[in-house]
Amino acid sequence: MKRGEGLAFLVRLFLGGVFIYAGLDKIIDPAGFAKIIYNYRIVPEISINLIAVCLPWLEFILGVMLVAGIFRPGTLVLVNLLLLIFLGGLVFNLARGLDVHCGCFTTDASGDPATWLAVVRDAILLALSLGLLVKTVRRPDLTGAKVKE
Amino acid sequence: MSKSSQVIKSMIRQSGLILLLALAVGLGVNQVRSDRLPLVRSGPAESRSAAADGLTISLEEARRLHETDQALFLDARPEPWFEMGHIQRARNLPPEEIDRLFAQVLGDVPPHRLIVTYCDGENCQLSHDLAFALKQRGFTEVRVLVDGWRLWQEAGLPIEGSGG
Repeated sequence: MKRGEGLAFLVRLFLGGVFIYAGLDKIIDPAGFAKIIYNYRIVPEISINLIAVCLPWLEFILGVMLVAGIFRPGTLVLVNLLLLIFLGGLVFNLARGLDVHCGCFTTDASGDPATWLAVVRDAILLALSLGLLVKTVRRPDLTGAKVKE
Repeated sequence: MSKSSQVIKSMIRQSGLILLLALAVGLGVNQVRSDRLPLVRSGPAESRSAAADGLTISLEEARRLHETDQALFLDARPEPWFEMGHIQRARNLPPEEIDRLFAQVLGDVPPHRLIVTYCDGENCQLSHDLAFALKQRGFTEVRVLVDGWRLWQEAGLPIEGSGG
């Protein structure tokens, strides 16, 4: 085992756990999640229910893939992309003073408000996943991406 | 071909596959569950901004309810705005004040009374928050008139207030 591999493995497990946890609550309550997306007032209305139905599963599947370590390059691209989109949505609504529920880890409207703390939390996750992505691009052999010479 | 460009290729291919998988699983699970969401909500133009909760009503419906006095109108905006002008016979209950003002404003209102909440602007969240808080407090018939104050004024419907 090369240096750095153990750490990357732990980060992968952690991120995977976070994504699985985040996906599950929304899978249980797609209607509640749809309301949260609606309140963000960013995506066109016609797409809200489709996102509410599929995004939680995307999070869950990405979490499982992170933990299992399969499809690593593709998984990391999507994980980074999602965290970036979430960050943008949070900052956008905080900046325009819209009081929305984060909907990050629960669809329960009484908890999890979208605050700067949620932004920081997302930024930390993004930094971790970006680290994994860079590692995969630069050292594909090390992080398990199957490539031919 | 370099390793990196191969990795980038597999990134694109794999991301696509994962997205398709999530789409398929999401749609599939939604199809079989009893509380499935309709994928595209349809309705008349006025209810385009209807939330997923199906709470909103059109201006036309609101006008009828007001005319026949079938509903109590609640203005969710802060008090100064309410004082300046509001829908005739409406009461003022900003959602952030609901704990303090609830008994005073709604103490005499039975929980099955039809209530229409409104605020100002298509993106105003106050009326939705108020409707949600009322539901949590046991009111069963709550509706939201999205962008209510603007629509109501533009339609020249009855208002009252200091006009300042």
